[in-house]
Amino acid sequence: MALSRRILPVLLRRVNGGGWVAPALSFSAPARALSTATAAAEPPPPASDEEESVVVKGVRISGRPLYMDMQATTPVDPRVLDAMLPFYLHRYGNPHSRTHLYGWESDAAVEEARARIAALVGADPREIFFTSGATECNNIAVKGVARFYRDRRRHVITTQTEHKCVLDSCRYLQQEGFDVTYLPVRSDGLVDLAQLEEAIRPDTALVSVMAVNNEIGVIQPLEEIGRICKEKGVPFHTDAAQALGKVPIDVNRMGIGLMSLSAHKIYGPKGVGALYLRRRPRIRVEPQMSGGGQERGIRSGTVPTPLVVGFGAACEIAAKEMDYDHRRAAALQQRLLDGIRAQVDEVVINGSMEHRYPGNLNLSFAYVEGESLLMGLKEVAVSSGSACTSASLEPSYVLRALGVEEDMAHTSIRFGIGRFTTEEEVDRAIELTVHQVKKLRDMSPLYEMAKAGIDLKSIEWSQH
Amino acid sequence: MAAAVTSPVRSEVLSLFRSFLRTSRQFSDYNIREYTRRRAADAFRENRALADAPTAAAAFAEGKKQLEVAKRQAKNTMFHATLLTKMW
Repeated sequence: MALSRRILPVLLRRVNGGGWVAPALSFSAPARALSTATAAAEPPPPASDEEESVVVKGVRISGRPLYMDMQATTPVDPRVLDAMLPFYLHRYGNPHSRTHLYGWESDAAVEEARARIAALVGADPREIFFTSGATECNNIAVKGVARFYRDRRRHVITTQTEHKCVLDSCRYLQQEGFDVTYLPVRSDGLVDLAQLEEAIRPDTALVSVMAVNNEIGVIQPLEEIGRICKEKGVPFHTDAAQALGKVPIDVNRMGIGLMSLSAHKIYGPKGVGALYLRRRPRIRVEPQMSGGGQERGIRSGTVPTPLVVGFGAACEIAAKEMDYDHRRAAALQQRLLDGIRAQVDEVVINGSMEHRYPGNLNLSFAYVEGESLLMGLKEVAVSSGSACTSASLEPSYVLRALGVEEDMAHTSIRFGIGRFTTEEEVDRAIELTVHQVKKLRDMSPLYEMAKAGIDLKSIEWSQH
Repeated sequence: MAAAVTSPVRSEVLSLFRSFLRTSRQFSDYNIREYTRRRAADAFRENRALADAPTAAAAFAEGKKQLEVAKRQAKNTMFHATLLTKMW
């Protein structure tokens, strides 16, 4: 096959329109012998427009889609990259090397980054421990605390809308004999404080409630939860990966005992995160990574200087830009919502609108099938539900916990707006979404029936 | 070296702003390009009202530092620009 590709251009002529034609020559017989039947039917390689369009998953697109999936990950801010590069170029020492300049400067950079992260959340630098990401932090927090206090405490409380790593860690603890309470949430996504207070037992080791939900963008009442936990003497852990740098966090005002932070959600590099662990009163955890005792024994392993420096730079930038970014995100979210609602009806926002981080908008479109909606939105990079669950066909467990019906859960789309999102991108996203929703609704008999006033729930579908 | 800190002259500030706009055009990524332009414009507009000399001088110095960062990174992204550039 490869041989014929090389020989064919020599023996055949390319014509306009992209076809191949065999020259009327006497020695076309050898060409025939070498070529296979499929060679003639082979489409010619795209010539000059290769740089302009590409076929991905069966769809031809002529450029990168516009990115509106900020909850999955964020682009690296050029200022962050600028801070990281020297540590990939010439300052490549291991921060734990104590005997030479490379180690000393690396260590100094790590400590400076630690201080910047601590400043953003109102903590002491000695309370910040670097890990490989928020998932590892959640594992250390949930499993580490429960195992450390396993003699006296046997109960863990969390919510049904937590990130998969927290839920999975809790399930793991259940196998070890712990009791876990998965608190339900209200239909607006917020946890019920009275239920939380009731659920706390004398042997509760940990309460884990995430600050900002990655799927629906709802902000939980951290101060109230912290107050309840402090009264009852239970450590309060929060997964603040989506909240860091976007909403103000103060670990003392909010009574937070442990906190998981992630760099790649605030325009930092991927592969690094930090765990906040309170010193007064001291919260102890059992380390999950055994080794040389780095990071005060909490997390062994070489601290990745470039990534950590990037994380510190991202936090410094976030501290300065939080207000500006928040105002912009709120304005853009309003623009997106108004634009879509002005042209299509039966759009439902999943999660509370008042207690929401504005950069995360999760919408459900009634009478539209989710997969086909996403297939038509290839020019916009959005996601339906969370990246963690997108591999399976089941609807998002977060939406199910909100009480959203299965058909609406399937059609949910999550729009992520960030620091770099522009008005033109939002307008284009509106245009594409509305176009696709209208197209699908035109084809939908359910929509027709609903418009005619028929109550879909009262229909008796015939059995075949 | 106890000279009084002077606030920057208007022409200096305008020249810095123009440099930002020029540098922003060098970014091959649409989002970063637009952000640099917009953030610079908003920052200069906000700091226009700064009255006293030390804060104005500090803001100007900060602006110059940020310009250096932007220039370095604009060159970076130019070299790493891929064929699959944005839709616009």
